[in-house]
Amino acid sequence: MNNLIIKTEGLAKVFKETTYGGLKQKTIVALDNLHCEVFQGEVFAFLGPNGAGKTTTIKLLTRLIFPTRGRVWLFGKENVDHTAMKKVGYLPEQPNLYGYLTGKEFLNFIAQIFGLDKQVRRKRIDVLIERVGLSERVMHLIRNYSRGMVQRLGLAQALINDPSLLILDEPMASLDPVGRKDFRDLILELKNQGKTIFFSSHILSDAEMIADRIGILNRGKLVSVGKLDDLSHSQTQPVEVTFIVDSSQISQIDLVKENVIVQGNRVLVRLDDKEALSSLLRQIDKWGGRLESIIPQRKSLEDYFMTEVRK
Amino acid sequence: MRIWAVALNTFKETIRNRVLINILIFAIGLILLTLIIGDWSIYQQAKVIKDFGLSAMSIFGLLIAIFIGIRLMVQELEQKTIYVIASKPINRWEIILGKVLGLSITLMINIVFMSIALWGTELIQEGQIDLGLAPAILLITVEILLIVCFAIFFSSFISSTLSAIFTIVVFTIGHLSGFLRDYIEIYPDKGFHWLLKGIYYIVPNLEILNLKMAVVEHLEQPPHAVLFGLLYGMGYILLLLLLTIIIFSKRDLK
Ligand SMILES: Nc1ncnc2c1ncn2[C@@H]1O[C@H](COP(=O)(O)OP(=O)(O)OP(=O)(O)O)[C@@H](O)[C@H]1O
Ligand SMILES: [Mg+2]
Repeated sequence: MNNLIIKTEGLAKVFKETTYGGLKQKTIVALDNLHCEVFQGEVFAFLGPNGAGKTTTIKLLTRLIFPTRGRVWLFGKENVDHTAMKKVGYLPEQPNLYGYLTGKEFLNFIAQIFGLDKQVRRKRIDVLIERVGLSERVMHLIRNYSRGMVQRLGLAQALINDPSLLILDEPMASLDPVGRKDFRDLILELKNQGKTIFFSSHILSDAEMIADRIGILNRGKLVSVGKLDDLSHSQTQPVEVTFIVDSSQISQIDLVKENVIVQGNRVLVRLDDKEALSSLLRQIDKWGGRLESIIPQRKSLEDYFMTEVRK
Repeated sequence: MRIWAVALNTFKETIRNRVLINILIFAIGLILLTLIIGDWSIYQQAKVIKDFGLSAMSIFGLLIAIFIGIRLMVQELEQKTIYVIASKPINRWEIILGKVLGLSITLMINIVFMSIALWGTELIQEGQIDLGLAPAILLITVEILLIVCFAIFFSSFISSTLSAIFTIVVFTIGHLSGFLRDYIEIYPDKGFHWLLKGIYYIVPNLEILNLKMAVVEHLEQPPHAVLFGLLYGMGYILLLLLLTIIIFSKRDLK
């Protein structure tokens, strides 16, 4: 299949931890038998708690470390040397970039490694600097950047070769809310250009907003993969209704008690499904109440994540 | 050229390092210091300048080599700046060669500066310069490059402290190679005989690269001493680079 961008088969990594100068050795199974497939044009979120093995997987994909077992294919070819990396953009977790260079020098250096010629380098660097919002500081030393600025520069270097696959390890860590919003926009823009994006995250709401598919990793094992809706959609969809009603009427409200919260003359009712909604709305009208809001409650990815991880 | 890009970046790193500049200024200052010491007889003074200058050159050159050679690798590996490089379409051997090349350029520029200081001092004191020092300076450069390759070799797989210790040990044993050989010859078959012999053969004999005394005292040199030193040093450097590349290509960058 040629629209398969990432494929891993039985991928495993065991770390050896030595203490007392090698006298004592412990093994840590960081990743265990990972089968994973990511398709052309997808945004794939790789989720999991701390120590789940996300970074380990990503380092295996980028050949920073080598598998104990299993194999990796990128763009349909087995990933045995660095040639596939020409088409990959990678952002490490909490990147450290050369402090003695300015942002611009750094991007130029990375572009040189990709073998881009001077014209292309200059043009891309200017565009990217603008795109990640670093224009003011690119002529300064990276040493003096804030964490979020380094993160932005890291993102810029990941895009310098106009990659068809982006592998991003916690791209939103240390970004401020504006930075996050910009990042989500950027991802969607890249997706529209037909790029494939594989990113790891703890931040479920961000993943929820931009990912097409989600994989959940726990203790080195992939516990579930699928479309967000398939994973977290429950059959019934609860709704929260808030309304204001004269306090004399409140005693008449005969709904299941634990689903009602009353504060002064404001009432919040949680309904288990939409069916009951119309009858409640008629009731409110009858009591002479004023409707404030109706908010559908999706069983969140967070709930799903928690149950999967606790299993 | 990817190697060249890495080399250039490495060069930038080293020359922007304040410690390096400080050591260099200190070394040059020391060489120039011989200018204001004027108490020796004319003949002695000429010797003192050369002797002192060449020694300062090799000692400070080595200091810089060990210091920045190890720092360079440690910074990459421990601060994990290597991630953004090693994940690019570049081979690990290209990274190593680029680093060594960049570092060598810095070290050679250092040598040039120190040579200028030395010859400048001579010119001021004696009105002439002794180009006969050049072979010694050439081999000092080779020794420094060899030591920097040891530093990079060690620090590509062990911690910075151990790398520094091992590099200094290699340097020390390398200069005591002659004693080691004599010892093995005088006391054969003693307990650790095989170990000493092993060390003797593995560690390069750095005295081969030491022509300081010969050029200062105008001693008779064995024919082709310079050429031999050059080839000997280069051979070791290539061997070390090969080993470093093999180790570095296989290791996890974690
Ligand atoms: N170099 C290493 N040596 C030993 N163990 C390691 C090494 N790197 C990672 N591990 C272990 O492997 C497991 C997976 O780590 P990994 O960094 O992949 O987790 P993660 O999912 O990225 O976590 P986080 O969300 O905290 O970044 C952890 O138990 C970790 O302690
Ligand atoms: Mg991680």
